[in-house]
This record gives sequence, structure tokens and C-alpha cells, in this order.
Amino acid sequence: MLTDPNIKGHRDAADLVVLEAHYLDNRRWDDWLGLFALDCEFWVPAWKSEQELTSHPDTELSLIYYRSRASLQDRVTRIRSGHSIASAVLPRTLHSISNIQAEPLESGTSARVMSNWVVHQYNVRQAETEVLFGRYEHEIGWIDGRPVIRRKKIVILNDCLPSSLDICSI
Amino acid sequence: MRSDDISRLVREESFNSDFLVDRDVFRDPDIFELEMRRIFERTWVFVGLERDVPHKHDYYSTWLGRQPIVIMRDEHGRLGAFYNSCRHRGALVCQNERGNAKRHMCPYHGWVYASDGSNIDIKDSRCASYPAAFDEHDHDLMRVPCFDSYRGFLFASASPDIPPLREYLGYVTAFLDLIIDQGPNGIELVPGYSTYRFKANWKLQLENCVDAYHFTSTHRSFMSIVNRRNSEHAREALKVMDLDLLGKKGGTRGNYTFKYGHAVTWGDSPNPEMRPIYSSIDEIRGRVGDTRTRWMFGNRNLTVFPNLQIADNFSIQMRVIRPISVDLTEMKIYCVAPVGESPQQREYRLRQYEDFFNVTGMATPDDTTCYEACQSGYGATSIDLQQGYVRGAAAVEKGQDETAAEIGVVPESRISGPFELGDETVFRSAYREWLRLMTRSE
Repeated sequence: MLTDPNIKGHRDAADLVVLEAHYLDNRRWDDWLGLFALDCEFWVPAWKSEQELTSHPDTELSLIYYRSRASLQDRVTRIRSGHSIASAVLPRTLHSISNIQAEPLESGTSARVMSNWVVHQYNVRQAETEVLFGRYEHEIGWIDGRPVIRRKKIVILNDCLPSSLDICSI
Repeated sequence: MRSDDISRLVREESFNSDFLVDRDVFRDPDIFELEMRRIFERTWVFVGLERDVPHKHDYYSTWLGRQPIVIMRDEHGRLGAFYNSCRHRGALVCQNERGNAKRHMCPYHGWVYASDGSNIDIKDSRCASYPAAFDEHDHDLMRVPCFDSYRGFLFASASPDIPPLREYLGYVTAFLDLIIDQGPNGIELVPGYSTYRFKANWKLQLENCVDAYHFTSTHRSFMSIVNRRNSEHAREALKVMDLDLLGKKGGTRGNYTFKYGHAVTWGDSPNPEMRPIYSSIDEIRGRVGDTRTRWMFGNRNLTVFPNLQIADNFSIQMRVIRPISVDLTEMKIYCVAPVGESPQQREYRLRQYEDFFNVTGMATPDDTTCYEACQSGYGATSIDLQQGYVRGAAAVEKGQDETAAEIGVVPESRISGPFELGDETVFRSAYREWLRLMTRSE
């Protein structure tokens, strides 16, 4: 974990990806939001054919496309409000992240972390288990020595989606 | 199941009174089986857009009810709809969702079909010792009996015993036109789509699209987020939804139903500048005139029975309903846009669409969760009749009035009033058509 915020490097960046998943699974929404830069990009592209993802969020459809932390805050507000029946009983989720590869960008001022993810989610209303999986691409930068997520791209490989999913399901 | 058994499931006491639907229509697997045979295989079903197969030899595979079909454009540019099943042993001939191919070879024994469906090769036929009787069989891909287009919207039917498409669609075309004519060169699907499944009967989706009554309860969290965005972090916020659509600023809104099960809910948009097409308003007015421009900048949700829905309010969403089983439904959803709109319009449209309509957005999951809650609730089999088709009944009228005349439609039923009216007579046309099709002899 990020014991020394002054250490810059691949390891911190990779740890941050794991920490983010930990916060999502444990419903630590404020801690989760705190990992993102205010002007972060959060992007879940849609598929446009059997093998091809959309690649231009401003001209092609995305499953989610946000350009600020405020939009992630909206999702958290929705979950906390209790006014959304879909989010009122969240699925129990468990992220597993593997095959992590980190590489520096711009001579050490930021890093890109590629990883694989699997989320097992237990839909408590219907006592059913669903599995979602795909790939993450995080771009991690450092603000005042602290690593933050500048950009997160989530590719969902099994995109015939269950209707009970939220921000913690991917 | 006998016709009089089915007749008891949908009972219209009178036009201005009770309308009773038995919950067995949502939960009985035998009724679902009959729906597939008598509705999805016996009437016009939406199967896609012509624009998806623009070039010679383009094809895409889709579903006609439960049957796999393929839509192909042949080398003369003619479109055809065929059952996607080799005449030999039945394998899917087109394995991919879409593509371009002059010839399609069955992967199993190598029979080859041209893009017009004709069989052009039976592998090793010379050495096959086929009897003469074999030559008497038609070896071409079997054509879907009825296949037609309304301005690029493609429909097919597995039964020829149906009215012509134009007659079937009737006045609902006036509302399709209000969508198609939003661009000088028509509309297209924005690249990318999504698929989701909910664990409930398909008719819950059929109803929801024209159900204004659910909005303020089901989408309460979405409404409060839109309000919060407007107050707390307006500068960086997504401005995607016009809450004034819900009638807080007055304005006219109403519902029409039409023959053959179609239904439309329509309303004014108090803030037309929130529509992505707003910057094209002068071009549109010049092309379609003042009255249709006013209608176009209003909003509408429409259902073309049994499986096509378009929501034209925050951006335009097209939904295609695919029933899988009595309690499982697959939805494919698409973002519709005028061909050649500006990059600014397209971006704004996408953000509106994603926020509300995606199953990964903040509104649709609340709908589908409610459908699933209904389906679970239908487990209370001691309850047979629904009370959900009655609001508006004392006020609903037949035929055309001045407003309907503006847009040139003669509705089977019409009603208008405040958003809080939450009219439910709008659902009745679908159940009338359901009953008509379900009680026809096979």
C-alpha cells in the first residue's frame, strides 16, 4: 500500500489500481472519489461490432463517459440517496485484478497501468451470482507527491449486461 | 390454449371504464409460447435499419421473434430477408453479426449461398448419388415471407397473412417522420450500441416506454441529481436533462393510440435549446414548416408494436425488444442522430443519451429493477388482475381533435392533460392488438 506518498514509481501506480478496487468493494465512496483528479476522464467504451470497441467518445457511443470527478460524485450521491431502487440494494461485489503492467509516461511524471479485472457480483435480491470481466487502463499522475487517477478506461468484454449493475460492478 | 381462455386475460369493460389485464400474461410460459407463435411470428416485427447495410453484399444477422434471420443486400442493391439456417442440416450460414460477403458458405458441409440467398454450390454434388427427387427441392436460403421498409425502417413477418406495412404502421408514421426528418439527409445510428437483459416479461418494457406515471417515483434519484448539478457544480456539470419536460412550466402533453397496437406519448419542450438539434432550427423550419418544427422540438416516446420503441426527449434512443422467455428479455439500444450533424451537436447528444438511457447510466437501471420487482411480485399467483390500465379512462376520447389534425393523425384514442395525469389508457391499444393476434386461429 501507499505507505510513503513521496515515492514515485510503477509500484505506487499499480498499488493504486488495487486500492481503488478495494474502496469500491468496501463502499468507501469518499476514499474512492479522493483517488481521482478533479479533471479526470472516466471512460467505458461501447462495442460497435463483435470485435471492435468505440474509440472516439465525442463521436461514438460510450457506456459511460465522464470528464470530471463531479460526475463520479453524481454516481455516489445516487447510491447514497436511497432514491434509486436499482442502487438501494447494491450487489455485493468482489474485484480481482491481475496481469498488472505499469509503464512510465512523460519521463516519470505519470504512469500507465494496464490490468485485467474480474468482478464477481452477488445480486442479493435474486440470490444470483453474475460475473463481469475486462481490462483496465489507468493513467496515474502525482499531485503534491500523492498519486491520483487522471484517466481510467474500462473495457467490458462480456457486454450483454445484467440490468443490476452500478459503478462498483465494473 | 383455447381462444376463450385467452379472451378472459384482457377484458375491456368499455372505452371509458375498466380495462383488466390478467397477470398470467406476464408469468405463464404457455402464454409466452403462444405469443411467440401468434405475435412475433405472425405480424410485422422491426428487424433493423436499411442504413446498416448500405453497400452491395452487406449483411447483418438478427432475430425475427425467436428465429435467426439475416438481412442481405445483393449485387443489384436489392435487400432480402432470409432465415439464417442452411437448407442442408440447419447450421447458421452467416456466423457473424454483420459484414460484407458476396458468398456465404455454410461452415458445416460447405453449401454456398449468394447474397441474394440463392444456392450456388452444393459441395461435391457430382459424386453424391443424389436421387432425382433431391433436385426437386428448393436449396436456396428460405426467404422470410414478408419484408418491407418504411423510410429505411425494416420490418419482416414470418406469416404472409398480414396487412401491408404502410397500413400496419398507419398514423404512427407521422411520429416516425418527426424523427427521420430531423436531418436533411435523414437519421443514422451513432456507432456503438449496448445490450442488456432484465429478468422480467417483455411487456413490462412495452408499457414503460409510454408510461409517464412512473417517472417521478422511479427516476427520483435522476431528477435530484439533475437539480444538484444545476445548483452545486453547474460549471463542470453535464447538462443533459430538461426537467421542465415534466410539465412544471405548463405546456401541452398527451397520448395517442393507434390501430394495430401502436402508441405515442407527446409533449411540448419548454426549453427547445436543450435539444441537440436546436442550432439547426432555421434549416429545419425551412424544410418542414412551422407546425412540424414545433412538434419536432417537442418530445415523444413511441411504441411500434410489438418490438420497436423510440424515445425522443433527451437525445433520441431506439430500443429493440427481444423476448427470450416468459421472464427474461434482451434489449438492444441505439443512439439515433441526424446524418451529418455538427460535432458539437453529436457530443451533446451522446452525453444526454449515456446519462439517462444506458443501462450503465442513472435512469434505465431503475426501470429494469422495477420490471424485475414486478416479475417477482407476480409470484403472488393468488392475485390475477392488474389495476394499471385505468388512469385517464374517464377523460379519454376517440378520434381526431385540433391538435391531432395539426400533425395529420386520427388516433384510436387521445387524451391530454398535465404530466401528473399519468394516463394509462395509452397501454390499451397494445393489449387490444395482443388479444386480436392471440385469438386468431393458426
